[in-house]
Amino acid sequence: MKENCSTRGFIFRVCMLLMTGMLSNIYCSADERPDTVISLQNVTVTATPRKLATVQTLAGAQLQSLSTTTIADALKYFAGVQIKDYGGLGGLKTVNVRSLGAQHVGVYIDGIRITNAQNGTVDLGKYSLSTLESVSLYNANKLDLCQSASEYASGATVYMQTRRPDTDSLSVTGRWASFHTYMGRVNAQLCRRGWSAFVDAEYLDSKGDYPFRYKSEYEDTVGRRFNSDIRYTRVEAALFKDGFASHLYYYDSERGCPGGVVRRLSDKYNNVGREWDRDMFAQASWSRTFSNKFSFKANAKYSYEYLRYCTDYPENQNTAKVNNHYRQHDAYAAVSGAYRPLGWLSMNVGYDARMSWLGADLKRFCSVRRLDQKAVVAVQADRGGLRAAASVLFQHYKDHTRLKTGAAEPLKRFTPAVTLGYTFRDLTVRAWYKNIFRAPTLNDLYYTQAGNRNLKPEFTKQWNIGAEYGYRNINWLASVQADFYINHIDDRIVCLPLRGTYTWSMMNYGHTRCRGLNVNASGTYATGAWNFSLLTSLTWQRDINRTNPESDTYDLPICYSPTLSYGITAIAAWRQLSLTVSDLHVGKRMWSYADAEDMLRPYNNVDVKLTAAVWRMLASFEINDLLDVQYEHIPRYPMPGRNFRVTVTFTV
Amino acid sequence: MALAMTAPALHAAEERLIILNEGLWQQDNGRVSYFEDGTVISNSWFRDINGYKLGDTPNDIIAVNDNLIAIAVNWSNIVQFITPEGKAVAATEEIPNNRKLATDGRYVYISSYGHECFVDGDYEYFDNGGYVAKIDTSDFRVTDAVGVGYEPEGIAYYKGYLFVANTGGYAFQEAHEYETTVSVIDAETMEVVRNVDTGQINLYGKMSQSGQYLCINSPGDYYDVQAATIIFDCDAAIAGEPDGECFVSLEYAATYNCTDKSGHFYAIGSRYSYYTGDYTFNYVIIDPEAVMASGGGDGVTEDFPGTVLDDIKKFSMPYGLFVNPYTGYIYATDAGDYTAAGALYQWTPDGNLIGKYKLYINPAHFLALRPESPSGIGNITDDMTDGNADENMTIYNLQGIPVTSPLPGHIYIRNGKKFIYNKY
Repeated sequence: MKENCSTRGFIFRVCMLLMTGMLSNIYCSADERPDTVISLQNVTVTATPRKLATVQTLAGAQLQSLSTTTIADALKYFAGVQIKDYGGLGGLKTVNVRSLGAQHVGVYIDGIRITNAQNGTVDLGKYSLSTLESVSLYNANKLDLCQSASEYASGATVYMQTRRPDTDSLSVTGRWASFHTYMGRVNAQLCRRGWSAFVDAEYLDSKGDYPFRYKSEYEDTVGRRFNSDIRYTRVEAALFKDGFASHLYYYDSERGCPGGVVRRLSDKYNNVGREWDRDMFAQASWSRTFSNKFSFKANAKYSYEYLRYCTDYPENQNTAKVNNHYRQHDAYAAVSGAYRPLGWLSMNVGYDARMSWLGADLKRFCSVRRLDQKAVVAVQADRGGLRAAASVLFQHYKDHTRLKTGAAEPLKRFTPAVTLGYTFRDLTVRAWYKNIFRAPTLNDLYYTQAGNRNLKPEFTKQWNIGAEYGYRNINWLASVQADFYINHIDDRIVCLPLRGTYTWSMMNYGHTRCRGLNVNASGTYATGAWNFSLLTSLTWQRDINRTNPESDTYDLPICYSPTLSYGITAIAAWRQLSLTVSDLHVGKRMWSYADAEDMLRPYNNVDVKLTAAVWRMLASFEINDLLDVQYEHIPRYPMPGRNFRVTVTFTV
Repeated sequence: MALAMTAPALHAAEERLIILNEGLWQQDNGRVSYFEDGTVISNSWFRDINGYKLGDTPNDIIAVNDNLIAIAVNWSNIVQFITPEGKAVAATEEIPNNRKLATDGRYVYISSYGHECFVDGDYEYFDNGGYVAKIDTSDFRVTDAVGVGYEPEGIAYYKGYLFVANTGGYAFQEAHEYETTVSVIDAETMEVVRNVDTGQINLYGKMSQSGQYLCINSPGDYYDVQAATIIFDCDAAIAGEPDGECFVSLEYAATYNCTDKSGHFYAIGSRYSYYTGDYTFNYVIIDPEAVMASGGGDGVTEDFPGTVLDDIKKFSMPYGLFVNPYTGYIYATDAGDYTAAGALYQWTPDGNLIGKYKLYINPAHFLALRPESPSGIGNITDDMTDGNADENMTIYNLQGIPVTSPLPGHIYIRNGKKFIYNKY
């Protein structure tokens, strides 16, 4: 399913937002020094050091000490996050926050959204942690002083903040890991007269041929994952000066897309599908503050994505011989401004425009174009510990296509968000509401033999109340935060078979309600050369089907949604040595309503990482899935089980 | 055997159905349900009896003879053979991407979307279409295969010929177009005798048979070409009548179709267009003889017995339709929302809804077993084997009249001895 739409209308509407505030500091699951992070990010803004939003951040040393290589690995340590992973090293990894669904999660790199007009999801496996300073997850809005309109447009947002170099250096990294995995990386950074820049290039090759076993009363299937290989080259470069930031990104990969492990009499036939990706983007942003009252920001981005998918292999007898090519271009520009007439009051307006173009050599398909415009008005106020923020976002989507089915009707909607908070000393309480939708993607609307141009947007409503408390003294730094939330999702966009036919179509079907609790607690204790950290997150939620009261599945939990999950990470560091142990627990998940045995078992994934720095060398040894629990996110798609990584970095 | 234990010794089951639950694609959860006289004996029948799973996406089931049943397990590339008691006897993957089954009692004929087949010790390749393979049930090996159109689906055996509906269903992904033909194959020589062009594209889905007539669904392409139902006359095709004389095309969808006890077809389905998003549902009963005789002007009614139609209209997702050829009881399945267990509905032959039963995910394909002996005699020993009697000897009823079609469970005389005609 793929879709699109484009428009040319204009927009402009206003709204408001208010806020009072500034105040409390929220670091949640991870970072003991959020201020550092923020100051890098909003260099030119007279920013409030404390935020009102519900946020979790992993940054700096803690981020690097986790046993993670991709953003997806890091995000699974956050409360409320569910990663969907088809297993293997090349498998698609998407993130679902508070059961809203992957397409409600916006992913931003340095404040500019990564988009995929085709299917609306971002494969987090494509982004490396090596160039990042921090990763943050915001539920609802980030509530910065000067934000672009699109930053208000997702149910939840992941911010990746690129690290700005502060010294000249050249480093070379090599990695050897299980399943014939080899990686090499070169990073060069330079600082001159206020300018800083880096180039980071990485190559990885992995067969991903890990062993798996299914053992139950009904089978004992032993095998090695096939067609699970990946090879990629990623090159990034960035240039910064004060309020100016720019980023170039290039990614080229080939990977296998393995199928589910099903009963076969031999290995003769395999459902081979292979995928080639070539993504690039160039983006720049510039921001400036005038006279402490005005600030201004402009963003621009161009991105191109190429995807080829092929199943035309002799060992694949089960599917059509597909060899399709998809190309997407995306041009984006945004301006936003903030005005602070009084010390306690600020206003933010922003306008974004994005033109997307999708082409594919599918039958009965021709290119589709979408113009997506957004405008926001936001107000924040902060007085005497009481803070408030409000915003109204206007979105307008218009598509253009010569497809015979015609383009969808233009989509226009206003959506609001409100936040209230109160801070007393180290304690902050907050409550917020956000209403937002996701527009049907180009796949949803126009993809051959599934697209439905009559789709409505999928709406979410989120309510949240929470509190956080921070404590610090000479040795201790600790924080705890808890948020209770309710989400409603209406008109879910799903692909369903059409009644009485042999074909499928995208449809608006389903209403779900999720009630949950996210808790984070973290503490750091430092004494002498020793430093200990403990980071924990816990998610409890009930995500239930509220579609049809007549149905047997009404009020039952949504498939794949665990009720309980938690993560515990302990880090002990002494001088140049550090040891990290983390345990991620995910409770049982039903994957169908048909039989109680259709359940994915609970699992604990334990990772261990030992890092040592000697002279100019940094070496690490990691064991992932120490207990060798071969869990699954999707039934019959086994994860790799226990595996090892050795990484050595040499820096001059 | 689990089945024998669950069937009370003195109870002769009338309604005996095997139902295939397709499960969810690539989750390896295709399952077999066994239903007997108002009770679902098991929703994992194959697994209970054999200790292992059937595989991914079972797509068709037929009785080869009274001792053997064949199941096409599509995504597992397996043709699985079981006894009527559910015991696995053989499985082969010589026919990848197998679709539908037909039989003459000894050989099983299978349509396949694939392009290679392991025939008699060698791989044969079919680069310009799919094929039909022939399995000899004496050793469960493929003895022959013949290329037909792209993506052949429904298949029927009639008077020494096979009738294969070609779909070209991969036309949206591959370079070829939709197919419009029914291939007629000499089952003995496995050679295509002729291709009857129906003028309707994509002859996809279940094909029902009623004597010389076939009911073939054409879903169209969901854009410009509307769905249709082809009523096909096998005798006319064998006799070499011109293409146009071999079938009648009706403006209905037959997404779910079956043959009732009187030889009429039930056809339920909808015509859909991606341009407009509009559905047109139809629920019809087709008398193939009247349709052929009138060229389609006559022979179609909506007179479903009792409440069958009203009940089916309330389904959230109809998924299978069946009439027990032995008893005339009517069945349909509702797949619900595809992640929950599907439901089986049962009506008496005159259309009274008498039961609703929980099956597993996506119940779609039915096979009725012969009713058990009404004589009340169990544990029959078969004296007729070991050369005591020739199977070909004439059978007489108790009045001494020769019988050509003995009924199972009834007592007859052969070779001077009374016996119960009952092969299981």
